[in-house]
Amino acid sequence: MRIAVPALGLLLFVTAAVAAEVPEFPLTIRDHRFTPAEIRVPANVKVRLVVDNQDAAPEEFDSHALNREKVIPGKSKATIFIGPLAPGRYPFIGEFNAATAQGVVIAQ
Amino acid sequence: MKRTVHVVAIAAALCAQSAHADPDDYVATPAVEYGEREIELRFGTASKSGAERLSAASLAFGYGVTPWWATEVYGKFNRAGGAATHFDAVEWENKFQLTEPGQYFVDLGLLVELEYPQDRAEGYELRLGPLLQKDFGRVQVNTNFLLERHYRATEPEVTELGYQWQVKYRWREDFEFGAQGFGDMGQWDRWDAAHDQKHTLGPAIFGKINLGGRQALRYDAAYLFKASSAAPDRTLRMQLEYEF
Repeated sequence: MRIAVPALGLLLFVTAAVAAEVPEFPLTIRDHRFTPAEIRVPANVKVRLVVDNQDAAPEEFDSHALNREKVIPGKSKATIFIGPLAPGRYPFIGEFNAATAQGVVIAQ
Repeated sequence: MKRTVHVVAIAAALCAQSAHADPDDYVATPAVEYGEREIELRFGTASKSGAERLSAASLAFGYGVTPWWATEVYGKFNRAGGAATHFDAVEWENKFQLTEPGQYFVDLGLLVELEYPQDRAEGYELRLGPLLQKDFGRVQVNTNFLLERHYRATEPEVTELGYQWQVKYRWREDFEFGAQGFGDMGQWDRWDAAHDQKHTLGPAIFGKINLGGRQALRYDAAYLFKASSAAPDRTLRMQLEYEF
């Protein structure tokens, strides 16, 4: 127990420090479209997308290529961690409005 | 007398089955989808030479209540040998997403299931444990360790340890493939002898078919072979979810 508490504290400190270093990329949903529709991120680095859903309706960020599915309620923000990615293109959609809400992450 | 022996044999088989993973058990994953409703159908059938075939099916309704909590209620049915299918239990499953996918080295969730068996001799069953997931590019690995205990049962109350795992190659959204495995070790702090433990593994397929808007069908099936002498020789398990 005496070892567990400092070890847990160290683990939380390290994970918080690692999380703080993750580069952030903003992504907006408005009128059921993503802006920007293309996001360029560094390859082989974990990044986080901060998705701001400015529509009143919820949207689901869905990407099989990125293995992410996340519902973002209307008028709210959500963080999605992706990567580290090999160089390439990783498409994503807004599943509730797939005809218009489309985008791609380009790792380079 | 012959009929009594048959009934006792079936009851014993069902008790043995309920104390371990059902043939329709599935590999839980840690992520929760907020606001998603789902109707889920599961089926599994297991055969072992010299023993009756055991089959189980479940029908469930689930809902993503918050971004970190999903709950699901199951009606469970089972059948042993040539006996009629009967209602087995009601199960309340709760899944808690503890970390954001991809945020840390592994994604972590917690599964808590409470089962109310029809046979009151089985008391109540509690199953809980961590759900772990790690992605390696297009390869997804899940491993879960689950503790199971019956309360207010006629049998002595012991806590048993089980596990589930899967590896899948996420080839296409509508068709992924890989392998799954399930096992029961026995009492959590005093495992059964190797020949009494139950381990199964085999090939599995997965997929999601988008139906437009919020609607999708998700499937998952595996054909499992025994990896220990106490396990069923063959198990076929399937899961179909309608998400909306």
